[in-house]
Amino acid sequence: MGYPLITNACLKAIEDTVPPSDRIRVAHIGTGNMGGAHINWFTRFPDVETVALCDVDQTHLENAQKRLASVNPLAKPDTYTDFRHIMDRKDIDVVTCATPDHWHALIALMAFESGKDVYGEKPLSFSAHEGNVMLQSIKKYDRIFQLGTHIHAGDNYHRVAEIIQSGVLGKIHTVRLWKKGGSPGLGFPQNEEPPKTLDWNMWLGPAPYAEYTPVRCHRTFRYFFDYSGGVFGDFWCHIADIMHMSLSPKGLHSIDARGEIPTDGIADTPKWIDVDFKFKDLDVFWTTTPPPEVEGAEGMHIGAHFEGENGTLTCDYETRRVTIGNEVMNDVQEVAITLPRSPGHQRNFLDSVKSRIQPESNLEYAREMTLPMHLALISFRLKRKLTWDSAKERFVDDAAANFLLSREYREPWSLPTF
Amino acid sequence: MKKTVALLALLTILFSCKTQNGAVSLFNGKDLTNWKMLPGKVPGFEVTEGNLVTTPPNSSDLFTEEWYGNYVFKFEYLLSEVGNSGVLIRCDPENPWGTGVEVQLLAPWTPYRDDLHCTGSLYGYVPVHNRPDETTGIWHEMEIKCDRNIITISVDGEITTIANTDTVKGMEEKLLEGAIGFQSNHSNEGEHAKFRKVSIRNFDIDPEYVARGFYEKDVRVREQAYRSARSIGAPMVGHLAEMMSEGNITAYSGAKKLLFDLSAEASSPDARKDMRNSVIKALKKSSRKKSYTQDVSDYLERLLAMLTSDSSLR
Repeated sequence: MGYPLITNACLKAIEDTVPPSDRIRVAHIGTGNMGGAHINWFTRFPDVETVALCDVDQTHLENAQKRLASVNPLAKPDTYTDFRHIMDRKDIDVVTCATPDHWHALIALMAFESGKDVYGEKPLSFSAHEGNVMLQSIKKYDRIFQLGTHIHAGDNYHRVAEIIQSGVLGKIHTVRLWKKGGSPGLGFPQNEEPPKTLDWNMWLGPAPYAEYTPVRCHRTFRYFFDYSGGVFGDFWCHIADIMHMSLSPKGLHSIDARGEIPTDGIADTPKWIDVDFKFKDLDVFWTTTPPPEVEGAEGMHIGAHFEGENGTLTCDYETRRVTIGNEVMNDVQEVAITLPRSPGHQRNFLDSVKSRIQPESNLEYAREMTLPMHLALISFRLKRKLTWDSAKERFVDDAAANFLLSREYREPWSLPTF
Repeated sequence: MKKTVALLALLTILFSCKTQNGAVSLFNGKDLTNWKMLPGKVPGFEVTEGNLVTTPPNSSDLFTEEWYGNYVFKFEYLLSEVGNSGVLIRCDPENPWGTGVEVQLLAPWTPYRDDLHCTGSLYGYVPVHNRPDETTGIWHEMEIKCDRNIITISVDGEITTIANTDTVKGMEEKLLEGAIGFQSNHSNEGEHAKFRKVSIRNFDIDPEYVARGFYEKDVRVREQAYRSARSIGAPMVGHLAEMMSEGNITAYSGAKKLLFDLSAEASSPDARKDMRNSVIKALKKSSRKKSYTQDVSDYLERLLAMLTSDSSLR
């Protein structure tokens, strides 16, 4: 896995240095794909005790146990297929959630209510409305939340934010964001009986009922609007993050999305999507292809390009390129280091669990950063430009667009009201 | 067996009646309403004595203003002694031979032209298998039927050519819908071609015909059906709901997507009220059907909810 091998004795020694009272007892919900990364990341911290694993797919659960054992043989987690057993336990401090998107909000909400802090995978929620409910809930129950946008924690994003905020590029008037690639069609596979190891009804949870076929489920669920928002919904949070971190754009008032969905399969999220956003004093363009007028962008599968009065900055997760006049550089020496660096995204969260001060990608920040993505997908689906009232957080004169801000849950699931 | 024959006969009668009933005239015998020529080129046609007549050679061809995909296009034609014209089908007038094909109309020249280039052939692509009467100076009737991947040409009531566009090299990339064009005089000065009784029966406005396109294997054919269904609008809703309930995944998927698109269009603040109401009415009718599975009923209910959500928020 790329992690140093540590002996059991070593682990025991490390564990002993942290008294049980200071240990954070963590449960992982959703253990496939990103869930596996959660296990690897968290169990390596000496002050973390991995006490429970949960997955609706027993195959995932068995793999997760093996994975955990290979990294931390001393961990003796309880295993569940129904996450509600974890919510019932009073001895669990933290839940990490790496389920498909349509479960994100409900699991976080139930965790908050049962007194647990949450490290939740991106995107924050399936619908815009869920994000609002989550924010109300976290305030009421006084919990800690970190969105799993781990790129945020790197030095590059912090440095980009410092350069942009320093004003050395002048006032930023335009941001171009892009991510290559879109939804595959996934063909037209027949429905089948779900495997015996999978609780398909629980996997669907609050989403509309659908017959099972493998591509609807693990990994490719992302290409269905019933569960997610496609490549756009997946990557918005990573790259729009640097825009929000640097500029915290306000006053969004217009969203105009265009694009197509696949015709060669059952998937229905964008094959390509371009969106024009108008914030107060800032134009933001999302494209599925890199902007041709930006030098070096062609080779970047994802990126952000800031255009200011005095210069531009192009960046991705790890790199940046600043152009001022004829000069091209990867840093601006005169800009002071002012932002405290993250100790790592998971560590930042664990520190917050102890200090009770919200981490960098906290819920309030994450909700604001995620909202334009939801609104863009609504514009995409309705095939029209939409006007947004950012004070009321409602679309102007469009009942159907407002209707799509939320989704009614399938019984027996329901969103709490505050 | 007898029953089947009787049923077939009945269907044939019904179908042919419908053909007659569904056809509309494209030429009024007076002017070029419904037609256009390319700007900047010498006009290739004029209306004389109630006929469309070609004028100077190699001038602008004449195209329908509308584009058509699947249809029966019927007309009468008369060629002068060495007349040369043709009908361009499923073409973009900007590049008619590149995007579409020509159904040839040609006097029996000397030298003699082969079956791949004579009247009734898909010029250069598919030969006639039953060579038609090529007598010049008299009126003939031609019928061009485009039915998705099958193109059938008849002259004077006899089928001359059947083409499966999937199996003809070079036709795979041709448009599946486009303008219909009459080629201007392609012969010498003084030669001509005349046309009259021009009509079309457009299959793509028939919800049942369009619905069948959702089951096709060819993605381009499905896309064409999807576009047609979208223009049909509310009358498609019942068919789409049926498709979602039948268990054919391809049709299910297309129907689900289109039902959303139709509802989205009808939900627009700019949508015409009668259009919006007809979609709502059609969704309501389908959502009340007891035979549908729960997920289909729920989906229709949700679309209805989107369309009828609190108007005070509009």
